[in-house]
Amino acid sequence: MTQENHKKRWHKKSWTAYLMIAPYLLHLMAFVCFPVVFSIILTFHKWNIISPMEYIGFENYRHLWHDRLFWKAVINTLFFLVVHIPLQVVIALALAYFLNRKILFRAFFRASFFMPVVVSGVVITIMWQQLYGLETGVLNGLLHSIGLDRVEWLSNPSIAMISLAIMATWKNVGLYIILFLVGLQTVPISHYEAAEVEGASDWQQFRYITLPAINPTVFLVFILSTIGGFSLFIEPYIMTDGGPLNSTLSAMLYIYRQAFGYYHMGYATTLGLCFAIMILIVVAIQKKYIESND
Amino acid sequence: MPLKIHQIHHMVIYLMICTSWSCVPKNNNQKDTLTYWTSNNGGEIKYAAWAVNRWNADRQNIQVHSQPIPEGQSSEEILLAAVVAGTTPDIYSNIWQGLVEFYSSSGILVALDTLDGFDAFIHVRCDSATIAEITSADGHIYQVPWKINPIMTIYNKAVLKEQGLEKFPSTYSTYLDAASKYQKDTNGDGHADQWFGNTSMKLAWYQRLFNFYPLYLSASNGQPLIKNNKADFNNKYAVQTMEFLQKLYNANYFSRQVESAGQDFFIAERFASKWTGPWEIEYLEKFKNKNFEYDFCPMPVPDDHQGPLYTYCDPKSMVVFKTCTQPQKAFDFIKKMMDEQGDFEFLKITNQLPRRKYIDTLPQFKKYFESHPQMKLFADQAKHVRGSDVSESMIEVFDILSQEYEACVIYQKKSPAQAIKDAEIAVNVLLDAASINRAKRLQDTKNTPIQ
Repeated sequence: MTQENHKKRWHKKSWTAYLMIAPYLLHLMAFVCFPVVFSIILTFHKWNIISPMEYIGFENYRHLWHDRLFWKAVINTLFFLVVHIPLQVVIALALAYFLNRKILFRAFFRASFFMPVVVSGVVITIMWQQLYGLETGVLNGLLHSIGLDRVEWLSNPSIAMISLAIMATWKNVGLYIILFLVGLQTVPISHYEAAEVEGASDWQQFRYITLPAINPTVFLVFILSTIGGFSLFIEPYIMTDGGPLNSTLSAMLYIYRQAFGYYHMGYATTLGLCFAIMILIVVAIQKKYIESND
Repeated sequence: MPLKIHQIHHMVIYLMICTSWSCVPKNNNQKDTLTYWTSNNGGEIKYAAWAVNRWNADRQNIQVHSQPIPEGQSSEEILLAAVVAGTTPDIYSNIWQGLVEFYSSSGILVALDTLDGFDAFIHVRCDSATIAEITSADGHIYQVPWKINPIMTIYNKAVLKEQGLEKFPSTYSTYLDAASKYQKDTNGDGHADQWFGNTSMKLAWYQRLFNFYPLYLSASNGQPLIKNNKADFNNKYAVQTMEFLQKLYNANYFSRQVESAGQDFFIAERFASKWTGPWEIEYLEKFKNKNFEYDFCPMPVPDDHQGPLYTYCDPKSMVVFKTCTQPQKAFDFIKKMMDEQGDFEFLKITNQLPRRKYIDTLPQFKKYFESHPQMKLFADQAKHVRGSDVSESMIEVFDILSQEYEACVIYQKKSPAQAIKDAEIAVNVLLDAASINRAKRLQDTKNTPIQ
């Protein structure tokens, strides 16, 4: 084969390849690259969607730095993560460990725990709003029936975010149970058998065999929970509207309010960009920490 | 068989032509149909159909097509999406008065006062206070006041009997006194489960239009929140209003319970009263028990209050978008829709008040109110109502007030005076920034060479 023939064939092949990936490239350009570039440009502008964009330099960034409410929203979101992630990981792992054993109605339990994941977030939020009701809520009814005082689940600024974290955990735990189950089923049984012969207790087997073996799954669950937690929106939007006293104002809700409540598109985009950078930093720290313990 | 390069080029060019062709704006100059969006409220759709049929029957050259505003989370979001996409209707009713300035300052509404016959029409329809209220900062008028729903107190008449009162408490001290007597723990769990009233605790800005704002207007004889682009509410009336509301929550006279879907604590007689509009009548007549009796009265006022009792009227207007190719015809339709007969049909069909002066003295309206005594109360109240101030930042102004309301009234974290002062500072910062932007926009408009 001459070099020229080879070149022609390569050209023909590469064009076919480009054609094959063209739909994806178009999608990537239209829905990822363009919005990202446009967002970055928008952060230097003031824009209410219907008036022309107005260049304002770094004004949005300066405003963000002094925006007390944004930092409050960031702290609220981090607080949510601190409550939600450990709760989610511990409960999901414990339930997965339990469901990995041979127990009666195992399939039923697995399906039941997964059910909330496929139900609409709005439906679940409205349902929990009824559970959390102050006077007529089921939870306070139960507390009253055992002689305990009622709890202001959603109207006490110190408790409201914890209430949302409990609800979010209940909704998402099914997904993480499945992930942990997959991880648990990859651990060779021979390891446990060898450990039993050596006289290791259940806890020692879990600590020294199971946990290191499912470390990649733990990392995945941490990352997914973190990203999911950072995007906390539906729960405060429907249940509390960010209150009481802005205690459940999440960063996403604040960005939404700036964009679609006040039509401050430039500022909302600036908040979004800064928040995305924060998520990247947190995930990078998590990755480093988990890898260092590997 | 693989495609050849020239075939791909042809395909790309063909696609580009197709795309560009579909993007070419259609020539609307020959359009002989006006599109009118109504709200998606059943009564208003029915009324719009009546008004459109009446117009279309008389005019063959320009027909009107009405349709409810497309479904969405809020009409504001839908309108905004339509503006961005360039698919706004010619005419839209049901726009909140406080939002008109936002749209008009962006240059997407027709200045109606530039159209023939508008001046005469508006002076017949509205009093000078209403005209001042709807005049934009640039001196033009972009809206026609269409309807109002004044906010009043609705109360369970059994309360009067129970407390030996002749009329429902109308001042802060009598209201608080009656509230203290009404509050009860009926099931003995140590917590009150019967309250004198209820109003939304939600933080959403528009919730303040149904508690703080009407109370403030009542206390202050209808003073504006914003005057000359500055906060004008740091006064004794606003402080008194906050103080009154704070006392209601502090003493647990108002419930902190959030009603969920399907619950109505007023009908269940767990709340004695609430602040609401005439829409409540139709709802109550449908769902209340036979023996449940209710009535309406004005909003409570400070003990030393003198003068008429104002309230907020939840005003909605009609506007014409600049995408309309025949604005004069669109205005003619609005004018026809709001003639005396049109307004009367509107009242009959929707049980809402048209925003028209002397409504209680016009013969057919008078007769209607005689057979609907509760609507008569709202018609009487309509003489002393206020809408929203003129500012493109009204939503943010109410949002600031809402933040302070929550801190002061619901959680008692601030004194009323401090809450009002903090709101004033925040609103002034907001309005200053908005006025700098407006000045810059005006300057840019002046500097833009005429094409």
